[in-house]
Amino acid sequence: MIGGVTVQRLDTIASLKYFTPEIVVVFTMMAVLLLDLVAMKRSRGERRVLIVAPALIGLAVALFYSVRLAESPAAGLFSGMVAQDGFGSVLRIVFLVTSIFVLLFTLHSRELSSVHPGELVVLLLTVTAALMWMSNAVNLLMIYLALETVSIASYIMVGYLKGDRLSNEASLKYILFGAISTGTMLFGMSLLYGLAGTLDLYGIRSALANQEILVESGPALMVIILMVLAGIGFKMATVPFHFWCPDVYTGAPTPVTAFLSVGPKVAGFAVLVRFFYGGMARPEGEAGFAMVGAVNWQAILIGISILTMTLGNVTALLQTNLKRLLAYSSIAHAGYIMMGAVVLSGEGIQAMVAYVVIYLFMNLGAFLVVIVVHNAVGSFDIKDYAGIWRRSPLLTVLMGIFLFSLMGIPPFAGFLAKWYVFAAVIRADLGWFAVVGVLNSAVGAFYYIKILKTMFLEGDDVPEPSSPLELHPMHAGLLLLLAVPNIIGLLLWGYLDRITEYSQKLLEIL
Amino acid sequence: MIPLEYYLVVSAALFSLGLFGLLTRKNAINVLMSVELIFNSGNINLVAFSRFVSGDLDGQVFALFVIAIAACEAAVALAIVMSLFRHLKSVSLEGASALKG
Amino acid sequence: METLAPKIIFWFFAALMLGSALIVVHGKNLVHSGFALLATFFSTAVFYALLGADFLAGAQVLIYVGGILILLLFGVMLTNRIFDVNLRTETFQVVPSALVSAGVFAMLTLVILKTPWRQVSLLEEGPTTEKIGNLLVTTYLLPFEVVSVLLLVALLGAAMLVRRRSDL
Repeated sequence: MIGGVTVQRLDTIASLKYFTPEIVVVFTMMAVLLLDLVAMKRSRGERRVLIVAPALIGLAVALFYSVRLAESPAAGLFSGMVAQDGFGSVLRIVFLVTSIFVLLFTLHSRELSSVHPGELVVLLLTVTAALMWMSNAVNLLMIYLALETVSIASYIMVGYLKGDRLSNEASLKYILFGAISTGTMLFGMSLLYGLAGTLDLYGIRSALANQEILVESGPALMVIILMVLAGIGFKMATVPFHFWCPDVYTGAPTPVTAFLSVGPKVAGFAVLVRFFYGGMARPEGEAGFAMVGAVNWQAILIGISILTMTLGNVTALLQTNLKRLLAYSSIAHAGYIMMGAVVLSGEGIQAMVAYVVIYLFMNLGAFLVVIVVHNAVGSFDIKDYAGIWRRSPLLTVLMGIFLFSLMGIPPFAGFLAKWYVFAAVIRADLGWFAVVGVLNSAVGAFYYIKILKTMFLEGDDVPEPSSPLELHPMHAGLLLLLAVPNIIGLLLWGYLDRITEYSQKLLEIL
Repeated sequence: MIPLEYYLVVSAALFSLGLFGLLTRKNAINVLMSVELIFNSGNINLVAFSRFVSGDLDGQVFALFVIAIAACEAAVALAIVMSLFRHLKSVSLEGASALKG
Repeated sequence: METLAPKIIFWFFAALMLGSALIVVHGKNLVHSGFALLATFFSTAVFYALLGADFLAGAQVLIYVGGILILLLFGVMLTNRIFDVNLRTETFQVVPSALVSAGVFAMLTLVILKTPWRQVSLLEEGPTTEKIGNLLVTTYLLPFEVVSVLLLVALLGAAMLVRRRSDL
């Protein structure tokens, strides 16, 4: 409701036309399920194609609809369960693109070659739809339901390699930790319901701003916030709810890990923004927000952000397994993304979304390289990356692009992402917070460089002549596709105005 | 009539007991049982608030969905436990340490 | 006399709920814990009934007791050889955890008692089934559909994880 534009609540039938991406994805999921059944008699390769192709088509169609919907006016859909706005539209596109890439990753992965991909595709499609619901939900019930749908489907995906003990352990840890976090979040949500008398976020905001409640509700609100943060923090993998992250990322099949590092994490951030900005803040001034309610949640979130990025960066320095390192790296990046989410300004949200989009390309790229190397070498240990430069210069260069982008070095897009976020933070008079971010980025550089160093140099004392690493053409294509945005990112600098204008739409939500 | 606070305190006790179970139990199924206690405590809150504070049935509907979600979660959790049991022949959380924290 | 019955029911089932919960979280025998959980779930259903949520009470018994509990007991049976003495479960770090839990309970109670919950007069008493049904297909239609997707996926996933043939 920025600028006093009230948003209409649509009933079910009218809402449907805004819902086309989700509907397409769900129907695709059901179609794949049936196709899987029908294709049971065919050969393994044929089945793979028969399942993945329709899924890709479905996702592409949904993507098309999402892009079209991005131009639509803001509205509250389905009797206030879900919102339709620029913020949600951009994130929808992020989720669909992530799923398309991950779906392609599963086609040529040594880890997944021995299992039937049918259910994985169904799960992936379901998670995609659920992510879209989760990031648009503005009612406590809908948030909880969508979050659990994403989580439960993720637990299954992580444990997909039934024959692999690590995969099983990872999914057990994931589900137990997840159940604890979401159970706590439920308790917190129930207290919030009691405080406000309604499940609707905007209704909650009005209730919290009400003077009578304001006075005495401080302690309750603090408890509520901490408990709800248990669930949201779990999805975002921020401190102190990050414990599951390294184990799960390491044990899960790498395409699934790649998906988890982007999809649910970003959706977690969406819930963070919607919950706090929609339920506990109101628009104020040009493009700013003011907190509502008796608790200074901004301070809490800043604290979490600092702890998260610091812990992520420092622990990553010690890792020897690349997947584990990337897990800690993604924890650190969650800390950076949070910086944009806590500054109580429209600019901060825009910066956060920009970071997320760029992060998609950086992280998926890095994980694809891990998949490719694992296919060839069979290991995730960093020391086994020695001498990759001689076996495949192209792969090493591309990995360099992804790692430099993750580090935040110009001229790569990762730098742009950090710039946006730090700028938003500085403009919100939180300069010291930006300094913390910069210091953390510097620490982060060390472990990324270590990976590159291993790939380039340490191969010299490898005696036997290593065979050249042949890149499957599809992998090469995907890698290039992921790398390009990282490079041209900086060219977008010139288009800053256009982007800001488009991102204005992001602020229609609240 | 029973005041609202009585229900809330009982559910807080249930939550705390569930928390205790989570912190102390080694058997994965025991942990699951403790988690179910936590879900139930949240539900009691929802229904109690629905009756006393909100005057409508939103809380009850939310509780209904939570019951359905908890059922799904329990089913998947047990499936994972079964799957792991085949590997380890045990569901003690001490055994699940191949992944070092 | 009229208002005594609800009070007796409340206190009895509150005691039953918390007592059985204690067995669930601290009992030595896994099967005992499972059956104690039955008492906890049932007491919760009684609470729902006391609060006027008749449909929910029925749903609780049906789904939690009739579904989830059975599932948990199957899990217990299938992962332990019940003819051995293998059902003894160990615990760790009991004392610090007890302190933490007690602390959490104290804090929650304090918050609950200090917060001025705004209470409204009751809306109409009476069976809730029809009203909930109405809500599910009007206001809560979207969650209703989403939960069916969730149920499908959970069913699928659980079946896939447990079946033996991995290349099917």
